[in-house]
Amino acid sequence: MTLVQGAREFVAPGVDLVALAPELILVAVISGVLLIDLMLPQDKKGLMMPVSALGLLAALGATLFLVGDVRITLSGMFVVDSFAVLFKVIFLLAALLTLALSHDYLKDDEIHHGEYYFLLLCSLLGMMTIASSRDLVAIFVSLELISLPSFVLVGLRKRDLKSNEAALKFFLFGVLSTAIMLFGMSLVYGVTGQTSLVGIASSLTQFPPLREVAILSILFILVGFGFKISAFPFQWWVPDTYEGAPVPIAAFLSVASKTAGFVGLLQILFIGFLGLADIWRPFLAAVAVLTMTFGNLVAIQQKHIIRLLAYSSIGQAGYILIPLAVVGVGTPELNAIAFQASIVYLLIYAFMETGAFACAIAYGRRGGGYFVSDYAGLSARSPGLAIAMTMFLFSLAGIPPLAGWAAKFFVFRALIDGGAYWLAAIMAINTVIALFYYAAVPRQMVFAAPTETRRIEIPWMLSSAIALSAIVVVLIGILPDIFGALARAAAGG
Amino acid sequence: MHQYVFVVIGVLMAIAAVRLVTTKNVVHGALYLLMVLAGAAAIFILLLAEFVGWVQVLLYIGAVVVLLLFGLMLTRAPIGRTALDNQSRALAALVAGAIFAMTSMVLVRAFDGQMIDFSQTLTVRTLGGVLFTKYVLPFEVVSVLLLAALVGAVVLAKRDE
Amino acid sequence: MPEGYFGDYFTFGMFAGLVVVLVGGTLLLARLVRPRVDKDEKLSTYECGVDPIGGGWTQSTVRYYIFALLFVIFDVEAVFLFPWATVFEEIGIFAFIEMMIFIAILGLGLVYAWRKKVLEWI
Repeated sequence: MTLVQGAREFVAPGVDLVALAPELILVAVISGVLLIDLMLPQDKKGLMMPVSALGLLAALGATLFLVGDVRITLSGMFVVDSFAVLFKVIFLLAALLTLALSHDYLKDDEIHHGEYYFLLLCSLLGMMTIASSRDLVAIFVSLELISLPSFVLVGLRKRDLKSNEAALKFFLFGVLSTAIMLFGMSLVYGVTGQTSLVGIASSLTQFPPLREVAILSILFILVGFGFKISAFPFQWWVPDTYEGAPVPIAAFLSVASKTAGFVGLLQILFIGFLGLADIWRPFLAAVAVLTMTFGNLVAIQQKHIIRLLAYSSIGQAGYILIPLAVVGVGTPELNAIAFQASIVYLLIYAFMETGAFACAIAYGRRGGGYFVSDYAGLSARSPGLAIAMTMFLFSLAGIPPLAGWAAKFFVFRALIDGGAYWLAAIMAINTVIALFYYAAVPRQMVFAAPTETRRIEIPWMLSSAIALSAIVVVLIGILPDIFGALARAAAGG
Repeated sequence: MHQYVFVVIGVLMAIAAVRLVTTKNVVHGALYLLMVLAGAAAIFILLLAEFVGWVQVLLYIGAVVVLLLFGLMLTRAPIGRTALDNQSRALAALVAGAIFAMTSMVLVRAFDGQMIDFSQTLTVRTLGGVLFTKYVLPFEVVSVLLLAALVGAVVLAKRDE
Repeated sequence: MPEGYFGDYFTFGMFAGLVVVLVGGTLLLARLVRPRVDKDEKLSTYECGVDPIGGGWTQSTVRYYIFALLFVIFDVEAVFLFPWATVFEEIGIFAFIEMMIFIAILGLGLVYAWRKKVLEWI
């Protein structure tokens, strides 16, 4: 069939290669890593780690090149703005830190290295695309690309029953919640006839849907994201999965993957469903309160450091979620403040959580253990590690002048500006409860008698990851406006 | 006429679906699943989404169920009720029933009285046109997703040397 | 006789019905005319004439599973080729590049399976 020129119904969209550069580099790195694993002899396979790291740095450079730009390409499917760039940088940094955490961990574990790096980078690619996606289909596919490699990564320690259990739980929860979310998205499409978030927003204001349909579709979509961000009541998989997974992967899940979930959720809520804020606000308030309370209460009883961090990360998800409970339809300034508060918390959380996991790995792999009681007398054995761990935990608890305090400050300000005093009160109570378990580890480290006196050797990659996170946690604690300004720029987009 | 066909297919699917979760033989379960999927394909065709319907046949009936059967055959003794059943059927039925009642009520209220325009079929060409212009990004992301799925499944299933 | 979209499927349905009737009818006819012997031995599994022991279930090797899996992945790829073929000419070189990237990435999967020796039988 030959068609007359000009009578074409479908025209190829424009492609902005600069806007796509970070993702394209990442795809090249993914292929490269896979080919190294497949083609090179066993002794050259050590190349995978430096190639991945350099590739991530290149992608980071390409992303930083886009700072300040607004580019829309692939028929509006792919948007690069301050929001997207900010989170891409965070994802790339989180992945780099995860690589640093993994390198020595992998050496003493019977994990397939090639697949490990490959799957990690695939998951990262999903995070990169979700930051630029302003369309339900693209968001859904990106979310799948984030989750699917993580299921496998969690189960990579095939001989370990705990790893199998972790992967299976993660997988079953994941597919179920994804299916429910997809049903919700199909409802939205059925009502609006649109998949792009902007189109959905305008269609929703022009033809307001039946209240029940709106509630149902938002609830269903929240299920999918609730799973990703480990919000109550979709958090059951978290502790078992983190405990059974390779620890760097647990860190990756609790930082990068969770942030990606929030990125998708924030876009859907703020671009697509802002007009329905009155409907989703109460649900989010309830979910946030339950999430933080559950996480913090259960964390108190934990004896295992990874499980403790898992429950703590559930609690933290509640803090990130709660500013959204003041978002309203006709209050753009307040919405911007709430949006910013969530973003600032996410940014700070990424570094303090990574730092805490890095310390746990540094100690756990090198003669220590993963139980809180194993930390007895660490301050005498390795003062540096003990100080770093204490710092990250205190930051997570929100003790000034560390960054976690600034994060909480932003959230409290949003809640008080929005007049949600009772939510602020609940969060304050939660912060106090959380102090109990965050302080439990430092208490062991300082006041309990050590069972061993050997110093702990930390490989340089791990210690630089710890150092980087520590610098950020201290710096942002003193100058929180650095992240505040970044978040303001992102909110402006 | 469409309604009658729809009701027949729907009832068959519902019966197969109930048998799927109640049968004691997992292989029979997989075959009931096949019936449910065939019903879904028929409904797609009935709703003028011809291509999607046949993709359903090709992929789900032709490939996924086969994969599922092979997966079942990897296991040791899958026939008969085993201890794996966690005995909370009543609760599960209650939750499922409640969700079903809620969604169907909402859907009926939302789309009540709307008619399907049976004169417009969704051609493969329209689908292809939209997929390869507007939805390029998801399409390419899917390729990486499939690759990751392949690698992940192989690494988990493969026997280690 | 209805025409058009549903007409085609009506014809299809008639033939499908015919298949069911023919096969079912033949089996029914056979059942009516053949002699019946009700004995336990007749219902048991034939295993070289020896009495069978245990169930009929055998555990299959994981290779079948991996093959089925590869089949699913490349089946999905094939499905995308149909809509692509219908608009390929209209969209032009862009569609070509798109599909080549898609196939190349999935091709890596085939290379992976090959190098990891899961394609070898034994």
